[in-house]
Amino acid sequence: MTVTEEYRAVFEGKVLEELQSILSRYPTKQAALLPALWVVQRERGWISDRNMAEVAEALGITPAYVKGVVTFYTMYHQHPVGRNFVQVCTTSPCNICGAEGVVKAFLEQTGAKDAGATSPDGKWTIIEVECLGACGFATPVLINDDFLENVTPEKVPEIVKKYR
Amino acid sequence: MADVMINVTIDGVPVSVAPGTLVIEAAKQAGVLVPHYCYHPGLPVAGVCRMCLVEIEKAPKLQIACATTVTEGMVVKTQSEPAKDARQSVLEFLLINHPLDCPICDQAGECELQDFVFQEGRSGTRYGEYAKRFNPVEDFGPDVLYVPNRCILCTRCVRFMDDVAQEPVLNVSERGDRAYIGIHPEARLDHPWAGNVVDLCPVGSLLSKDFLHKARAWELDKTASICTGCSQGCSVTLDTRDEVVVRVRPRPNLDVNRYFICDHGRANYRWMNRGDRIEAPLVRRDGELHATDWDEAFARVLGILRGASGKAVALVSPAASSEALDLARRLLSAFEWTGAFQVVMGEEAPLPGVPNLALRAERAPNAKGAEQLGYTRGYDAAVKAAASAAVVLVLDDPDCPVETAGALIYAGTVLPPETACRAAQVVLPIANVAEEDGTFVNRDGRAQKYFQAKPAPGMARPAAWVLGELAAALGVAEARQ
Amino acid sequence: MGFPHKPHPKETVVLSQHFGDADARTVKGWTKRGGYEALAQALKMTPLEVIEVVKESGLRGRGGAGFPTGLKWSFMPKEKKKPHYLCVNADESEPGTFKDREIMRWTPHALLEGTAIAAHAIQAEVAYIYIRGEFTEPWTIMEKALAEANAAGVFGKIKIVLHRGAGAYICGEETALMNSIEGKRGNPRIKPPFPAAAGLFGMPTTINNVETLAAVPHILKRGAAWYKGLCLSSPKSMGTKLFSVCGHVQRPGNYEVTMGFPLKDLLYDMCGGVPAGRTLKACIPGGSSVPILNREETERTLLDYEGCVAAGSMLGSGGVIVFDDSTDMVYQIMRLARFYAHESCAQCTQCREGTAWTTKIMERILAGQGKMQDLDLLLDLSENMTGKTICVLSDSCAAPVVSGIKKFKNEFEDYIAGRRKPVMVA
Repeated sequence: MTVTEEYRAVFEGKVLEELQSILSRYPTKQAALLPALWVVQRERGWISDRNMAEVAEALGITPAYVKGVVTFYTMYHQHPVGRNFVQVCTTSPCNICGAEGVVKAFLEQTGAKDAGATSPDGKWTIIEVECLGACGFATPVLINDDFLENVTPEKVPEIVKKYR
Repeated sequence: MADVMINVTIDGVPVSVAPGTLVIEAAKQAGVLVPHYCYHPGLPVAGVCRMCLVEIEKAPKLQIACATTVTEGMVVKTQSEPAKDARQSVLEFLLINHPLDCPICDQAGECELQDFVFQEGRSGTRYGEYAKRFNPVEDFGPDVLYVPNRCILCTRCVRFMDDVAQEPVLNVSERGDRAYIGIHPEARLDHPWAGNVVDLCPVGSLLSKDFLHKARAWELDKTASICTGCSQGCSVTLDTRDEVVVRVRPRPNLDVNRYFICDHGRANYRWMNRGDRIEAPLVRRDGELHATDWDEAFARVLGILRGASGKAVALVSPAASSEALDLARRLLSAFEWTGAFQVVMGEEAPLPGVPNLALRAERAPNAKGAEQLGYTRGYDAAVKAAASAAVVLVLDDPDCPVETAGALIYAGTVLPPETACRAAQVVLPIANVAEEDGTFVNRDGRAQKYFQAKPAPGMARPAAWVLGELAAALGVAEARQ
Repeated sequence: MGFPHKPHPKETVVLSQHFGDADARTVKGWTKRGGYEALAQALKMTPLEVIEVVKESGLRGRGGAGFPTGLKWSFMPKEKKKPHYLCVNADESEPGTFKDREIMRWTPHALLEGTAIAAHAIQAEVAYIYIRGEFTEPWTIMEKALAEANAAGVFGKIKIVLHRGAGAYICGEETALMNSIEGKRGNPRIKPPFPAAAGLFGMPTTINNVETLAAVPHILKRGAAWYKGLCLSSPKSMGTKLFSVCGHVQRPGNYEVTMGFPLKDLLYDMCGGVPAGRTLKACIPGGSSVPILNREETERTLLDYEGCVAAGSMLGSGGVIVFDDSTDMVYQIMRLARFYAHESCAQCTQCREGTAWTTKIMERILAGQGKMQDLDLLLDLSENMTGKTICVLSDSCAAPVVSGIKKFKNEFEDYIAGRRKPVMVA
């Protein structure tokens, strides 16, 4: 069952320089953990157990420790996700403004079976998230790093087309 | 020079404690046990289980006793309605996901969740027919199994590995009611002191594979003893069931091992149950060893000792009690005496979070005691001397490479077929550490007593008794040299 | 202004003056609009002097707790023996609240300036601005603004570092925020020790909300007396507050009014009331963690710390969530309970298990399987979850449940009695 693939380190060359720069902003190495994990996710799209071990070594902490942190914060992906990662807020203020309809529209338009699953063509993962802090601009939708506001079910087909 | 003491009242009982004392510790002095889970005197305070909420006069909210320091005049109530309601609610919350596993759970009978629920929990759950959270059992490492369903997330195990073992291989994973104790796939829980997490776990979530389904807690007799695994001299409890040692656990000793023992000591008990024991005294007759009674065996030994003169060599086990070692020397006081022992050495494994605590390289409990009594470390010279000695006494070391022209007396627990001690004139069966009372002296010179946990087999008796009888007969028992 | 709508005459525009004005995001644009003068002024004052001004102004924390800011700053050691830290709480995750996002998006330099002044006042060499991970646009804007401001050298010796969160509401709790910056799970800490004694990296620390700090330059420039004078009702609540109005209103957005402003006027005058043909049913004035107000209570609430308490709720973060009569209150309370269950950090037993249990009971009521005892059970659980944990997330879950059952009992009873069609929750 062991897959013996050559592990490609994340923190090399320019990325390693970036890590050094991050480290300089904090008095402890451990404090660079959240920014370092963001870098890994940016570079690889998700954070694997092996990545966690690499980060642990770079910061002088244990892999188990890193894993405890990764599993705490919901924005870190522990598995590969679709090319477009769509987060739709459905907490009450947006909920009463039709947020669940927006989720449904995304699922229909992308073919992703359920919230959380990836669409068959691998391009979309849609999830429901908690309050995105844009309640007056219901419904907010975060697609990768793009923060869309005032999304309604009617606007979804256009959005999906744009990102496809 | 008296320090200022702080006076508080706990459940109506006035106590005076040192400044900085936690309420939960002050309560112990008042004879009050504040129910708790995550608190442990050997671990940093977490304050997460919320079980120890107590009412403190003048405080607007209930406070956790494990994280509140005493102040002068503080009045604490642990049995007031609000405090009891709070505890009952914590128990109820813990039980909504905790499975009703008692019939199949090792912890039953020594489970703090059972204990407090029985003491003050609700008689029935209000959780109804909702599903409980489920996660499969995980194998964490050499001896530890993790049953996530039973976990109450007290985090004692995580804090132990982080702060006391200082090898953070356990974490809390995920959030909310999805949380569980996690481990990274590239690391195992194989730290030499990791087994302590099983003791620390208040419920049956972390289990010892060695002890799994072996015995019920209420079937066990518990005896205070000292670990024989090395020269650290940790205080342990031997748990026996039907006179078989089934488990070794640490016994609190703030001066030596605090609350912990290492995995080597924890696993070091099977030999105490060996069946191939010498069960009767043996004397050589017509070239062969024959079973006999103590009278004949003693008579033979005394005959040897009275009839010989010159050199006597004692080759002793560094796991023999100080009482036995002392008597062995006195027994041979009429001779030109050489005494020696040999210690198996291993790798040291410290527990960094506790000062002066480690699995010691010397894998024997009483090497220091032997040294104090005049025995030399190392067999080489003594074995050479034994060859031409008049009397050689071997005390419980069947592997000792002894050859002598003189009389060999062997006092031991076992007599394996290939041992050189089979050439003895007399074989005296003795008890092992679980079958007698005795004293060990640890590497720091601390003399500690251990007690009998089970009966010795057959006619075997404590070495101190055997040698004591002989010494008394020779009139050397009382004399102090 | 009622951003993104046109400014309303009844607003008191201070913090929101440049919302929508992209030019205000540059150093040049900001200084043209009078920015960074307050900072220059503050750097010439002693830390104690700055604290006195802010104390005098009566500014109270705008993150939700309402603790007097000057007083909080004065808890820091006067004599500097160790590094001091300032943490800026830009984790804004309280449902209904979206004001800090606008401050960062439109007036990043207001925040930077307030941060620098605060850092000076508490003698902190380093200030960390903790921005929640989902705020990608504010992050980019703040990054750019910080780089520009650094290049212009406005901060003196003060170093400002942006730190990105990764999806955890609980990191808005001040001690959890510190743990998160330290690279740990966002677990709140037990207090004592208090942050001013041992906070970030064990050093004396102050944590302030974005809106609180954005007010500081104005207070320094225009004076404590000016700020104190902005008061319509309770003499303990002064200044302006950005109210994030959302839900069932015609014109949702951020409205800046003087403390003590009537909630009724905010909803009906400024926001245009609920959609046509509907009536106001309920309102949560301060973010989802405060009790729900019914219509009658809403219409007599004055928006300041004391006024909201008098009406039976709290000012909190000022996130005003409006529910009209089309709202299924039971469903929304379930959704809020689910929010808290999702965000619980898992340390305290009551919160970890209680938020999930509460959600399950709510779901069952919605599915038509509830019993009347379930309401008593919910109230009992809520009481067990209140005042007994390390932080108040547990209490926050209880607030909408208790107030919801009290004030909208008929809706619960409709589900239990089978008078309402069950809703199967995913």
